[in-house]
Formats: sequence, structure tokens, C-alpha cells
Amino acid sequence: MDDKLLGIFAEEAREILDTLERGLLDLEGSEDPERINEVFRAAHTMKGNAGIVGFSDVVDLTHLMEGILDEMRQGRLKPDAEVVGLLLTAVDALKVLVEGRLAGESPEPPREVLDALAARLAQQGAEAGAAPTPPAQSPTPGAEEPASGGQVNRFHLRLRFAEGLFATGTDPLQLFLELEELGTIEKVVCHDEDLPPFSELQPDRLYLWWEVWLSTSESLGTVDNVFIFVQDDSQIDITPLEPEEPAAPSAPAEPASAPKQQEPAPAEPAAPRPAPAAAAAPPAAPPQPPAPAPAKPAPPPAPKPAARKSSPAFQPAATIRVDTEKLDKLVNLVGELVIGVARVNQLAEREEGAEDTELASAVEALEHISRDLQEQVMRVRMIPVEGTFNRFKRVVRDLASELGKKIRLEMSGTETELDKNVIEQIADPLKHLIRNSADHGLETPEERRAAGKDETGTIWLRAYQQEGKIIIEVADDGRGIDLNRVFAKAVERGLVAPDAQLSDSEILAFMFQPGFSTAEKVTEVSGRGVGLDVVRQNIEALRGSVEVETKMGQGTVFRIKLPLTLAIIDGMTVRVGEEVITIPLLSILESIRPRPEDIQRVEGSGELISVRGEFLPLVRLYEIFELPTERSDPTEGLVVIIESVSKRFGVLVDDILGEQQAVIKSLEQNYHKIEGIAGATILGDGTVSLILDIHGLEKLAFGG
Amino acid sequence: MSKVILVVDDSATLRMSVEMTLSPAGYEVVHARHGQEGLERLQELKSQDKLPAMIISDINMPVMDGITFIKEVKKGPFRYLPILVLTTEREDSKKLEGKKAGAAGWLVKPFKPETLLAVVRKFTRSLS
Repeated sequence: MDDKLLGIFAEEAREILDTLERGLLDLEGSEDPERINEVFRAAHTMKGNAGIVGFSDVVDLTHLMEGILDEMRQGRLKPDAEVVGLLLTAVDALKVLVEGRLAGESPEPPREVLDALAARLAQQGAEAGAAPTPPAQSPTPGAEEPASGGQVNRFHLRLRFAEGLFATGTDPLQLFLELEELGTIEKVVCHDEDLPPFSELQPDRLYLWWEVWLSTSESLGTVDNVFIFVQDDSQIDITPLEPEEPAAPSAPAEPASAPKQQEPAPAEPAAPRPAPAAAAAPPAAPPQPPAPAPAKPAPPPAPKPAARKSSPAFQPAATIRVDTEKLDKLVNLVGELVIGVARVNQLAEREEGAEDTELASAVEALEHISRDLQEQVMRVRMIPVEGTFNRFKRVVRDLASELGKKIRLEMSGTETELDKNVIEQIADPLKHLIRNSADHGLETPEERRAAGKDETGTIWLRAYQQEGKIIIEVADDGRGIDLNRVFAKAVERGLVAPDAQLSDSEILAFMFQPGFSTAEKVTEVSGRGVGLDVVRQNIEALRGSVEVETKMGQGTVFRIKLPLTLAIIDGMTVRVGEEVITIPLLSILESIRPRPEDIQRVEGSGELISVRGEFLPLVRLYEIFELPTERSDPTEGLVVIIESVSKRFGVLVDDILGEQQAVIKSLEQNYHKIEGIAGATILGDGTVSLILDIHGLEKLAFGG
Repeated sequence: MSKVILVVDDSATLRMSVEMTLSPAGYEVVHARHGQEGLERLQELKSQDKLPAMIISDINMPVMDGITFIKEVKKGPFRYLPILVLTTEREDSKKLEGKKAGAAGWLVKPFKPETLLAVVRKFTRSLS
């Protein structure tokens, strides 16, 4: 069990126990429904929470308490001294149970209390003529078969959902699954006649409609209820069928798997066909299902749904904790191994006619493996910045109360991965920058109100990849940095001549000088003798850099750039001429093969490509990087639609090869920086692929 | 850009367990303790240009219950957000009430992390 979750559970459990106790004491003799509801909710929440952390004994106890409180809530039981007393005993037992569990013990279940509660509940049930409900168990939706023995109804459903159904977040498959829970889907026919030609197909539109034959013991109303929330915009026709009536599609439909025919389907009714393999359909029932005798239950349930299987099975990520020391040792050893293999390779090459020998090919294989191994081990060390970022929530909360300010922390890009060592070393500088923003950057609520700003200041913590670097920003919407004061201070300290002409960034750079501080008074929070110079040193030790941007009255951004040497991206590999280029997957929207009429040359805007009516600039990658290729005609190649921070554009490539995770190796280190290229990666087959830097490419292609 | 999901539930433990299920998958979870706070969060998120991809809401909550919350959401500019109800309620009548209010899905607590994640993925698949 996760410590973080347990911590929250513990905190909340104590609050709830308090509420229960206080509430129950107030309850006695009163019948204030809101009071009763509050206590009920407390028990209910405790039950839910205990279920989440897996304290089943707590669930059992609170379930009984909840049962009694529910009786009160329904007005069937008066909160007299006896019942309240019983519940208070239960709260005491609950305390013991919860504290014991939190201490890691397995406390004895409070048998007597449980029995007393159950007895009281049974008595209540007997009075009301209803049995108490058994403890709720984790239900498996759809696992229950509909009550059999009743009348079997058959329905023919024609489901024409609204074209924009997806926009409301509804997936038709869910409706089919729900239908399936009601009984047996005998047959599904998927109508694809309305599908437009592929080039006009809008992926967020629903063009299909369905016919479903359902046999169920449920009523028409219940079946109808499945569609309650799509009814308004959809055409849902549900017709009850005679038990013998065969399931025949009202208009013949081409099976979805068959090639699409352009002409509309003939109007005359055709013989029923086997149901097409529609995605949502369970295995097709025979076209003429045997008419079930009225008294018999529905036809045996179809072999349990293929539909369930069709949705990708979720595999929870299995993880183990590893001592970082072991990991570091492993990394070092693998490094040694790579060097060792390289030496063996050299020795092998000295052999006569080395290229042909078995030794050479064995060594080559070994080299591949060791390189892969190194890459994988490096990858193990990458962790998301999320954990580090999350720690700052607390820091900011404490800072806010310490400083008497209202501060909101906004985080983004928490999934960005960094080497474990880098993350560890970046935490302190980040904390410092956050303190700095809270203390010096953000104003007091009064000052902010006076300046016409929201009383609550915001600190942003963002991580993202750009230009082959990991960027971490600490930004605030505070008062900004007064450049004049920084300059004056620099002059005062003799760092610069009073008449020097400096750019803003040159002035701001003074702030990273040792002992440089413009704060008028040293505060408890950030005046600890550690200045921005230490931040800079720490970051530079990681081969990174830090810069500041500020606007008076609007705020300040500290931007840390860290090298990407170890960073991993998900990439799509494409071919341009002889080159294999990796495009970061995150930036890719889609890929299309344009038709000739989609390409237009516009005076002043260069080449444009029409993507479903929208014109985007087209960038020919082979032109940008001067790569010889045979495929210079966009209608023969493929256009990858890319979204950058500022714009969308199409990138012409020869072909798409596939998706691959890539460990970015810096080119600067081994070669030199190339505009538009973030780095290189070695593909599985040993070839080197250059990784596209979207931001740099944009600059190359559009200037600016 | 990670997708934002608004979780409305009066139990901090439940909200955290949802967050711990969803955040490793790249979702950013924003918390609200009840319907009223949920509506406020939506406004805040909108002002930051950070519209959530979906909402997960409990039914039985103080201040503003889940059904009222869903109805409120469906009245306003956020009506296109799919709302998944995550609750201990499993009565058909309640489900019906939720659906009528505009809920897009119903999951009964306690939830299995993989089920929740699968449902959330379904609801948040990018359309544009």
C-alpha cells in the first residue's frame, strides 16, 4: 500500500472519527435531517476509504453503522439514547481498529460490537419487513445474468446515433455492452452505407448505424433506458418482436469487412446474412435463431462477449523498488562492458581477413547487444519529474502561511522524464526559485488588490522538452524584477560602470553573481545566505543553464535548461531520401497522403496543404536539410501534420517507417549543433537517426 | 500537454486514489470536494485555458450533490465534457437519475484501477 495514500487516509479517518463522535453526540434527541445526513455521510465515506486502502474489517464495521444511520436517515429509526449509545461504542471500536491498522497491526475484530449492530439492524429489518442488505462487495458489472424464469422479450433496435455523438464523450460500444448486460444480443448489423470516401472522412464523426436483435427478460422501458442520455440527438427505434420473428436486417447491409461499395444498397429485402464482424458485436448468432418457447429462459448466453476482448486489455504496470546504489553500479558495469566489447572488436579486426570470420560477426552481435543493454539501463534511470514537483505543493502551502500571502501552485508537464541523478540535484535549486518567487516575486494580497490583480498569486512549475533540452520553468505573476534597481545594485557593487549600456538580459545576469541581492530586508524564507548564484552553480554542474525573463508588474520566469543527453522520446521514424529521421511523436497530429488538388502555392505564404478544409503551410523536409530524394511530389510521399507551440504545419517525408522510443544523444557533444536537429539516436538495426527539433525546424522553415 | 481531469468527491482518500491511478498514465487530476467546488474549479480551469478532458463525480456529497452538479454542468458551457459517476450507489433508479441529468458513465466504488483507467481513456481519447 502506498504511503502517500495511507497518510491521506489516516488524516481523513481521524477527521471522520471526530465528525462521527461529535455528530452522534448532537444527534441524541434531535432529528435534524442535515445532522443525520452528515453523520451518515461520515460513516459512508469511512467505508469507502477503508475499501480503497483495503482495511476490510473497517469496511465491515462501518457498513453496519451506515446501515443503522441509513434507517435514521429514512426516518424509520429514532436516534434515541440506546441507538446513539450503540453507535458511539461502534465509533470507539472503529478508532481502535483504524489506529491499529495504521500502526501496521491486525487488530481483533470487535465481535461484540459487530454482533450488536447486526442484531439492531436485523431487528429494524424485521420491523420493516425487509432483510438487511449484505455488505456491498466489489461488483462486476454485467456479471449478473438477468433474472430468468420470467417472460422473454425480443426487441429489434435501430440505433442511429447523432453524428456528433463522440463529442459528448459517448462511445457506442459502451451502449452495446450495456445492452448485453440486459440479455442476449442475438445479432448485430452494422450499416456503413453512409461512410464517406476516405479522404472526406472526419475521424470525430460517427457515420455508422446499427441494428440489434436483443432477447431479454427485461421490459421495453428498461431497454429504452440504456439510451436515455443519447436520446435527444439520436434516432432510437425499439420494436418488440414476436418470439418467432427472425432477425433480418431492414435494409441489406454490406458486412463491414467486405470492400466498401459506392452505390447505395438495393432496396428490396434480401435474405438475412450472417452478422458482419462489427467491432461491437459478439459472435454472430445464426441468422435464424430457433424460436425459444415462451416459458423457457432466453437462448443460452453467447460465449461470453468477444466485445470485451476487443477493447485492449489493460495491463497494470508492475514495478519493483530498486536500491539506487545497485542501479548506479549496474550503469557503471555496463559502461565497462561496452568499453570491453569495443576492445575485443579492435582485437578481432587485427585478425587476418577479419570481415569474413565468424569471430567478427560474433563480436558485432555482441556489440549490438551491449549497446542495447546500455541504452536500456540508462532508461531505467529516467523518472518523471512529478514526484519532485509534488513535493513543492507542501512547500508552497507552508510558504503562503509563513508569508501571509495567497499562493496557488500550477504544474504542467509532470510526466517529463529526467535522469534520476538530475532530478535529485534539481530539487534544491527549484525549491530555492520557488521560495524566491513566493517571497520576492509575489505581492501581498493587499498589494495585489491595489494593483488590480487577483488576490491569489500563482506560481507555475512547468517541465517540457524544447530544442533538444529539458526545460523547467518557475514562473510567477508577481511584481516582476526592477531592472533599474538591479543595475544600481550592480554599480554599487562595482560590477559595472554607471554609464554602461546593457541589455535587459545582461542586467538580469547580475542576479546570479555571488552575494547579489536586491531584497530590502532579509526574510526568514529566502534570506538564508544562499543566493541565485548557488542555484546557477548547481544547474551548471548538471551542464544546464538558467535564464530570467521579467516584466514589471506582470511577473518573472526562471527558465532552467537541462541537456537532453539521456532523455527519451517516443518518436516516429520517417525516411527522407537515404536518411532516417525521428519525429517526436508528441508533436504529431496525423499523417496524410495529399491529393494533387490539396496542394496550393500562395504568393507570400509559400506552399500550403489543405487538410479537411484547413490550409496549413507545407515544409519539404528534403529541401530544409538538402537531402537528395526521388519523392519530391507531395502526392507520392506522405505529409506528417505537426503541431508546435505556435502553429500547425505539414512536413513532407518520403515514407513513414514506424514508431520507436529513442534515447537522444547530443550532437553537440560528439559533433556540433545543427539547426533543426535535437540530436541523434541509434535505431535497433544500428543505423543512426537524426531527431527532429520541431522548434528549430520551425525557425528554419518560417524564420523568426 | 497532459489531460486534466476534474475529480469531485468529498473523500480525500478517494480523490487521491483516483489521482494515483490516473497520474502515472499522464493525466493531471484537479480536486474538488463537492459539486459547488467542482463548478468553481471549472471556472478557474477555464480562465487558465486548461479545460478538463472529463469530470469524475461522486453522487452523495455535502453542499452540492452529484446529480445537481451534473445538471449544473450540463446547463453551461462545459456541457460537452463527459461526466463519469464514481459512487457506491448502484440502484437503477439512481443511475437513471444520473443519466437523465447527463452523466455519460457509471462506475461503482470500490473501483479497480485498471477499470477506471480504461474508462477514462475511452472518454478522453482525443477527438481533435
